[in-house]
Parts: sequence; structure tokens; C-alpha cells
Amino acid sequence: MSAGGGTIELSRCEACFARFLPTDGPCPRCGATRIVPYAAPGVGRVVASTELHVPPPGVRSPHRLAIVEVADAVRLLASIDGPLPIRGDLVGVRKDGDVYRARAEPTPEV
Amino acid sequence: MTTHVASVGVAGFGKRTEGLVDLAVEAAGPALEGVGRKPIDLLVVGTMLAHGLRGPEPLLPRLAGRLGLESASGFRVEATSATGAMAFHVAVTSLETGRYSRALVVAAEKMTDRPTAEITGELTAAIHPSEVAAGATMPGLAALVTQRYLERHGLGPEVFDRVSVHARKMSADNPKAHFQKEVTGEEVATSRPVALPLRRLHCSAISDGAAAVVLERGSGPATVLGFGQGFESLRLVDRADLTGFAATRIAARTAYEMAKTTRKELEVVEVHDAFAPLGIVHLEDIGVCGPGEGSSWFANDWVGRDGRLPVNPGGGLLGRGHPVGASGLAGIAEVALQLRGEAGARAIARLPKVGLAQSMSGLGSHSFVTILGRMEA
Repeated sequence: MSAGGGTIELSRCEACFARFLPTDGPCPRCGATRIVPYAAPGVGRVVASTELHVPPPGVRSPHRLAIVEVADAVRLLASIDGPLPIRGDLVGVRKDGDVYRARAEPTPEV
Repeated sequence: MTTHVASVGVAGFGKRTEGLVDLAVEAAGPALEGVGRKPIDLLVVGTMLAHGLRGPEPLLPRLAGRLGLESASGFRVEATSATGAMAFHVAVTSLETGRYSRALVVAAEKMTDRPTAEITGELTAAIHPSEVAAGATMPGLAALVTQRYLERHGLGPEVFDRVSVHARKMSADNPKAHFQKEVTGEEVATSRPVALPLRRLHCSAISDGAAAVVLERGSGPATVLGFGQGFESLRLVDRADLTGFAATRIAARTAYEMAKTTRKELEVVEVHDAFAPLGIVHLEDIGVCGPGEGSSWFANDWVGRDGRLPVNPGGGLLGRGHPVGASGLAGIAEVALQLRGEAGARAIARLPKVGLAQSMSGLGSHSFVTILGRMEA
């Protein structure tokens, strides 16, 4: 589990059972409106990552970004705290206001 | 009903002191001269930011006034980086209705007099708000796609250096391009990092510029044979495939079907190389080659003016500069110039019969493909 063992909220469509990030609108797959929130572990694996040396205005350089796959193959774009993880790395994920933040998980003890 | 590009005009791209309307007039002038100043009954303009020197610029009415088009119908369109292509498609579609007989299409952008941070902020209009919140920039998202592409195909980042080298080689022969100087692979590979593995010379530059064409009903050397569009999820993380752009594949399929042609007929291509890896990915998405094969086209220089399929002979976005709203039309204009035998020193080795221009909005959320070809009246 992530440091602190947190969770993140995901959404499930009651009509087509698609799983996706919480949204204000209807199901992005089938358009149904019965959406049920559920808690997923705050942990995922990096799909791709990059280090921005020309970050957006007001963001410190270098700014690190990663596409992270969490439970049920749901993907999100996370701002990375700490060193840059690479594809396949395990990261802890939490939501901070509107932003997902991820941090490399310590290597599990064998 | 067919339509064709009867004339082309391009304003010099680069860091210009002129304002948006002046750039648009500079491009429109030669296009209007090219048809002997025959009457225009449709004006379609494209600009994304509509920046004047002192604030927002109402480009459409000001341009209509400057060009004396008081009795024409006018439309302004916007599709971020594909604005110029959208303007062209709107004009073609309008002519096809039979309502109009001759259209002037002008796409223009003025960017270099604003601070880079301000422009960067405005360009996030093409990114999903949740990804903007995470601190995404367009180069950042392009870098993520690039990482996935490299891993899927077992390639190293050096394959993209050649795209930048090619672009600058082409633009060095284009007096209207932003960049007139060639670069070496070494210079590309050691340029300052932007969003790793993308470096400065892998990224198109903020620029000023404008392009124009006159479209007429009927056929000619640059007849509109087919055109198509495609959409894909604005939010990058929702896409099933991050190693190409479904929107471009849909747009290309629609355009090929309409044109009753295939990629085998293509003799010149302009693709939206806003970032060097995209030059490779787009070749794959328009079907010129299979997934993972695009880099070999640049490595073997099959994309040069005397190559198997000349790609971006005007320099593309990397060489010509990327005034966002103008680039989509500049690519179509380049294909038209090549087909019409009006490309001067940068003419490809063999006068082409069929060419394709591809342009996209954001990081592939909306894509446009246009096929032009020789069809004698």
C-alpha cells in the first residue's frame, strides 16, 4: 500500500459497469447517469513519465508528470513528488484538491 | 461538385513586427493577384488567439474592409493548431453547396510580441482541464506519447533527431520559413531539455505568420479530391493507444475514401510535426508505413525532395515555425504549390499528381486530412 495506506475515489457506471475517474457528467462510455463512487487503493503503476524543464507558469522546474494506472485499469495524469519514476514503477497516489499526486513507493522488503 | 486551389499566398513566417491584420493582408495579396483579382464572394478566416498589437483583434471584419470584400459572406473559425485546416474545410464545404463561387481562405497568427509564459498558458486551451491542473503542457503530453512509442517499438530518442534535421534542411530552402539555417543531429541532441526526451530542437517554435488560398469551383492542378476529420478523447489518459492518434487515422480513412485513392498514390505529404516524434507517428497514422516503421523513412532519407515520398518540403512546423492558427493552412498551401509547380527552389524532384496535408488540434484530439490532386478541367 501507499505510504499511509490511503485511497482514491473512482466511479463505476451502474449501466455498463465502466470504471473511470470521477466526472461531473454522465458515463463517458455509455452516457448513463447512474454513477456510483467507490474507493480504490491509492497505489498504481507508471505507464509513462516525463520531466518538464519548461513548466507551466507558476510551477517550479523541473516539474515531473506521469500517466499512472490504478485499480481496474483506470488511468490518471499525476504530478510527481520526489524523483522521477519510470514505466512499471509502483507509485503511491493521492488526490490533492483537483490534482493527483504520486510518489515512488519504497522498494518492498524481501 | 469539385473545387480547386486556384492560387496561393504566404506571408513570411518568423518574428515579425507587423500586426495580425497586416500579416493576413500580406498573405491574401498574392492569392488575390493569382486569380487576377476576380470577385470573391466568400471569406473564411482562421485565427486561434486573435492577438492584435494592442489587444483582441477582430480579424474578420478588419480583413474584409482592407480587402474591399464588403459584399462577401464571412466566417471565422478556430480549432487551436488545426485552425487553418478547418478554415479550408469550411470554405470547400461552402463552395460545394453551390451558394458561393470563389472563396478566399486566410489563416493568420501573431504570437511573438507576447511573453512566452502567456502564450504557453493560452495554448493549454487544447488540453483537458484535469491535465492542465496536473501541470501538463503540450510538450509534456507529447513527451508521454513519445515515451510510449519508443518503448513499444524498442527505439531510442535519437530517431527523432533526424526529423528535426530534415525539417531544417527543407526550411533552409524556403524563404518564407522562420528558420533558414540547417542544424546537425548533434545540435538537436544537445539542445536544452523541454520535456524529456523532447529537447528544444524537437519542438516547433512560437512564430508569426499567415497563409492564404483562393478556392474556385471546378478542377485544376490542385483539385480537392478528398478531406476528412476525426476526433479522439481530449483527455490523454482515456485513450486506449498512446503510440499514435486515432483521430488522424479516422480523418485519413475518410479522406482516402472520398478521394477514391490510397496512400500509394501520394507523391508529396505535409504532416503536423509540432514535435519531432509526431512527424514519424503521423506518417504511420496516414498509412504511409506501418506502426514503428516511420523512423526508417527519415533514417534512409526517403522523405527528401528526391526521395520515395517527399515529406514537409516547405519545412513543416519545425522548420517553418508554428503560428498556431496559420500552420494548418500553410501545410495545405505547400502541397498546392508543389502540385501547381509553383514551389520554386524547393520544388520536389518530380511534379506530383497527388498530395496530402494533415493537421491536428491539441495532442490529436481533433485531426484534419486534406488530399489534393491534379484533375484537368
